[in-house]
Amino acid sequence: MTQSTSVNSANSTTRFDALGITVFAQSVAMIAEEMGVRLERAAVSPNVRERRDASCAVFDADGRMVAQAAHIPVHLGAMPESVAAVRARSPRPRDVFVLNDPAHGGSHLPDITMVEVVGHPTHSDQIIGYMAVRAHHADVGGMSPGSMPFGATELVQEGLIIPPVRIEIGGVPQDEMLALMLANVRTPQERVGDLRAQRSACAAGADSWQRLFHTHGDAWCVQAISALLDYTERTTRAALHALNGVSGTCADALEGDGVTNDAIAVVATVSVADDTLFVDLTGSSGAVAGNVNAPSAVARAAALFVLRVLLDSDDVPVNDGLARALRLTIPEDCVANAKRPSAVAAGNVELSQRLTDAMLQALGDGIRAHGLSADALPAQGQGTMNNVTLGGRGWTFYETLGGGQGASARAPGPSAVHVGMSNTRNTPVESLEWAYPMRIAAYARRWGSGGSGAHVGGDGVHRVYVPLEPVVMTLLTERRAFPPHGILGGGDGRSGENHCGARVLPAKGRWSLAAGEPLTIDTPGGGGYGRASD
Amino acid sequence: MGSAPVRLAPRHPRPLPPLPDHTRDVIQAVTHSAPGALISVGVDVGGTFTDLVAVSNDGAVRSAKVLTTPGDRAIGVARSVEHAALNAAAVARFVHGTTVVTNLLLERAGTRVVLLTSEGFTDLLWLRRQERASLYDLTRDHPEPLITRADVIGVNERVAPRWFDGHTRRDAPDGIEVLHALTDEEIERAVAQARASGATAFAVVLLHAHVFPTHEQQLARALHAACPGATIAVSHEVLPEIREYERTATTVAEAYARPAVASYMHGLSQTLAARGLPEPRVMTSAGGTLSARDAALHAASLALSGPAGGITAAAALCRGLDVGDALTIDIGGTSADVGLIVDGEPLVERGGVLAGVPIALPRVLVETVAAGGGSLARIDVGGALHAGPESAGAEPGPACYAQGGTRATVTDAHVVLGHIAAGTWSSAVTIDASRAHAALERVATSLLRSVEDAAKALIATADATMARALRRVSVERGRDPRDMVLVAFGGGGPLHACGLAEALGMWRIFIPPFAGVLSALGLALAPERRDGVSSIMQRSDLLLDHALQQARGTLVRRLRQDHDALTDRVWARVRYLGQGHELEVPLFDTDTVAHLTARFHELHLSRAGFVLDRVPEVVGLRATLEGSWWPLRVQREAREHALDFAGVDDGLALDVRCDGPCTVRLPDATLRVASGWCATSLDSGGWWIERERTA
Repeated sequence: MTQSTSVNSANSTTRFDALGITVFAQSVAMIAEEMGVRLERAAVSPNVRERRDASCAVFDADGRMVAQAAHIPVHLGAMPESVAAVRARSPRPRDVFVLNDPAHGGSHLPDITMVEVVGHPTHSDQIIGYMAVRAHHADVGGMSPGSMPFGATELVQEGLIIPPVRIEIGGVPQDEMLALMLANVRTPQERVGDLRAQRSACAAGADSWQRLFHTHGDAWCVQAISALLDYTERTTRAALHALNGVSGTCADALEGDGVTNDAIAVVATVSVADDTLFVDLTGSSGAVAGNVNAPSAVARAAALFVLRVLLDSDDVPVNDGLARALRLTIPEDCVANAKRPSAVAAGNVELSQRLTDAMLQALGDGIRAHGLSADALPAQGQGTMNNVTLGGRGWTFYETLGGGQGASARAPGPSAVHVGMSNTRNTPVESLEWAYPMRIAAYARRWGSGGSGAHVGGDGVHRVYVPLEPVVMTLLTERRAFPPHGILGGGDGRSGENHCGARVLPAKGRWSLAAGEPLTIDTPGGGGYGRASD
Repeated sequence: MGSAPVRLAPRHPRPLPPLPDHTRDVIQAVTHSAPGALISVGVDVGGTFTDLVAVSNDGAVRSAKVLTTPGDRAIGVARSVEHAALNAAAVARFVHGTTVVTNLLLERAGTRVVLLTSEGFTDLLWLRRQERASLYDLTRDHPEPLITRADVIGVNERVAPRWFDGHTRRDAPDGIEVLHALTDEEIERAVAQARASGATAFAVVLLHAHVFPTHEQQLARALHAACPGATIAVSHEVLPEIREYERTATTVAEAYARPAVASYMHGLSQTLAARGLPEPRVMTSAGGTLSARDAALHAASLALSGPAGGITAAAALCRGLDVGDALTIDIGGTSADVGLIVDGEPLVERGGVLAGVPIALPRVLVETVAAGGGSLARIDVGGALHAGPESAGAEPGPACYAQGGTRATVTDAHVVLGHIAAGTWSSAVTIDASRAHAALERVATSLLRSVEDAAKALIATADATMARALRRVSVERGRDPRDMVLVAFGGGGPLHACGLAEALGMWRIFIPPFAGVLSALGLALAPERRDGVSSIMQRSDLLLDHALQQARGTLVRRLRQDHDALTDRVWARVRYLGQGHELEVPLFDTDTVAHLTARFHELHLSRAGFVLDRVPEVVGLRATLEGSWWPLRVQREAREHALDFAGVDDGLALDVRCDGPCTVRLPDATLRVASGWCATSLDSGGWWIERERTA
């Protein structure tokens, strides 16, 4: 299917010297980083350029991830499935694909992934790699503005579904495909701007990747890639070695799927054996009617994130070698193994957080029970992204809010930060009020909301929105009923709260808001560490 | 995008008056000025050394290096003046580079500040931008703000963009409306609370004050009246720009540092006056100079001034070679500073962070990476070799310094490979090759490789870290490094230049003269410079030509005051509606809005690769008023007979050309010319290196 075998028997006899491993790691990291810079500079929507809800990655001819620009953990190691989906469609060099279908390499519909197939600099019919850029688009159609609907029970309600399709064939743009996409979204101008930014990022990556092959020759590059992935695997396994024999389980839950408010079990059992991290989601709920399901790529991203945190080191590059030290088991019928026609919009943002919470807790408990210290693993953080969408006539505003991080053996939990699988920046009040007919009546730290302890948990955030015209608002929030847990005697963080005036709103829902009616969001505090009196 | 061919310095630029004396060392050169010559003095106070460079307007350059006196830095400055034996009467300008603000922020040692800010938004400094300190280290937090929570006073007032004109909704706001007026009673209450706090420094930051300063002005006036003599920093003056967090943090930093800057400048002025020297000027983060009085009112603008001097000098020397676009790297013992020169000037951008405090003022772009001569070799659990980020520092230093260090550093690798000669150097450092070899041998043994292989790999590893920073700095600004010249200085710059250039596909390198005191040279040459920004926030199709020019005129007048001799340049900060990243587009006093938007589309096409069918929005203006640069005309002295070049640049290396691989010993550094490169000594001092291009 791909041409990697011919790359192996290629034109050059230069061999890669393993001593150059960090040099090579830097140069491929630089390519991913450069793609990210291009994307951020050229993107139009606040969500991509200001909040950086996007990721870029470089893949080799075999579809193995070689480097990723670290922006958002939920994209971590989730794009290999996108590239795999593209590779299943007989790609040719200079083809450019877009996709968002959760069943074919996507996560949830707003995340549109673009994949460019990179041809060899001289043997142009030969594939040498893939450049992938994923960006969260502020609208991809569907039943509600912002495409993060509440109450969806089928994927088709959530927006335009894009299986891997070519928007360029051999470098020739397929304008009709683009026209079809744009006809199905609410803000086509903005989408064009962001897609162009993605295209420009892919092109920058492809150019640098070709230059690498041109400079060093095929044999050298193929050896260097393998050496880099092997090195990452070796480093990861070396860290896991000390934890062989550790095992733990954590049973947590989501607070409803948007259809009912019933708790949805999320259970993670982790263990370390043979220098490998095993994560098993058996015991978790089956697929649910609402849209907190997620494709397996999201659970994989959560597990890779937890593994990367566990390594507690700045050295380890993020690539396919990390994934080799992970064995993930997900039951066939599982909220974390969404299949058509399950709706998934909220799974990517909220189930991913709960999976991370459960895995971190299970691992931390397991390590401590084994008599070892787990200093790098904090108590549970806010465990939600607090998705707020407000839509009026001709505009949609979407943002997520930070909250408390859990405290650790090393320090109190940081306050007002994104935790787990998110790490976006806020929208400045002045920018927001300038761009949307909306005001922020208050924006503060939720003092004292972190759990008590020898080290206290981080505090959440208090934010009050007041629309200037009638809007439809959608909330997808969590940790409103089950607070983030403290560890080793530390107190729980305070649960989050949603209010409309004096009226308490549930964790998830869609409502109309009149002009001047205030929406108040208080985000959860993080769990504390250790007994306060210790 | 092709680049114009670079012309090397003319062989004999300008006839200079005969110089009566010379030494054989460029850096230590003491050339006596002709009588009556005027001198510009630059003094750079670093952590270890205080460097002085005196540039006479007839081209003579002299320098001095003394130890920094941490207790009272003015003493070290005075010593450097004595050491250089300056004729005080001839000194026309005295420019000083100081890290006083930098240290203050690092050590959190500034004045207690009380912040007055819009009620409901008193926690902005604790909320930051919500991103966490580290993606994977969940236990790490951001540094604490400069002030305590108890020292924030909420003020009842609120203004916001006006969204509705009658009953018609527009697709963008039109001006500002006062939602909650600031009453006299509220002013009185807030000011009384501020005075009762006992603080002597205040910051005033209200929402949207960058477009509606009235409430801030009212508060500031009342504070001045109630607390005479207090330090008061007001956000619409310090940083009239959208984004409340950055504006608040910068304004608080200004109030926090002002008293210390004022007292430091006062003390230094007296020390200098006692020696008959003029009042000192100070270099800002933007690479220009301010008077002592102005500096005390722009304290935050000094925070990131440390590396600005070196890049400023590099830019001046580049202009002398007709080099417009260059990447600079200053490689020291523990870190490397990367900068960018565009059209012969250091690239100045807004925004920077120091010790967790955003300082969103114009500054010479510098990115620092933890890689330098002292970076320690380390082999991780996966068997990969790393250089740094740990450093041997000054104590114990690299193993070859024989001061107790045993772990291998990048410098030791250079010694092993013969790039750095053993023996005693002018900076009183003695290089012991056997210790370097022993240190590298330990690394080589764990890697099961030869000592030479380990040394080469260690250097390549350090190069990779620095190359990545160089590439990031250029690519982030839409520049291709291959079109630029690499300017390498600092103790390690000339050693690494060829390796870095190769990693980046660059083919021209400039090693500037005066490498050991480049920062001080930059201070001596830097022009007076006043920077300012203003806010417009208007879509271009609603912006009138005269309003644009009026805003331009207002900003320039505000900066100019009585500085008539300065030349102004203005840029408009423009973006497509909805974008968050602005491009700076030159704005001339004859421009219409149509001129400006046409230029913007063009610039966007060249930077981002496309234009959008969207209305551009003019966010604001940035202006720079600049005086003239102090003239620098340096030339190597002619010698009567051509001598054999023995690999040592004694300052008289005229017309020397060497093909790599070879090394040239410079006064305080070693130049390594890699295989495939050719170095030529420049008449104006320094070296020019080009890659021999194969077809």
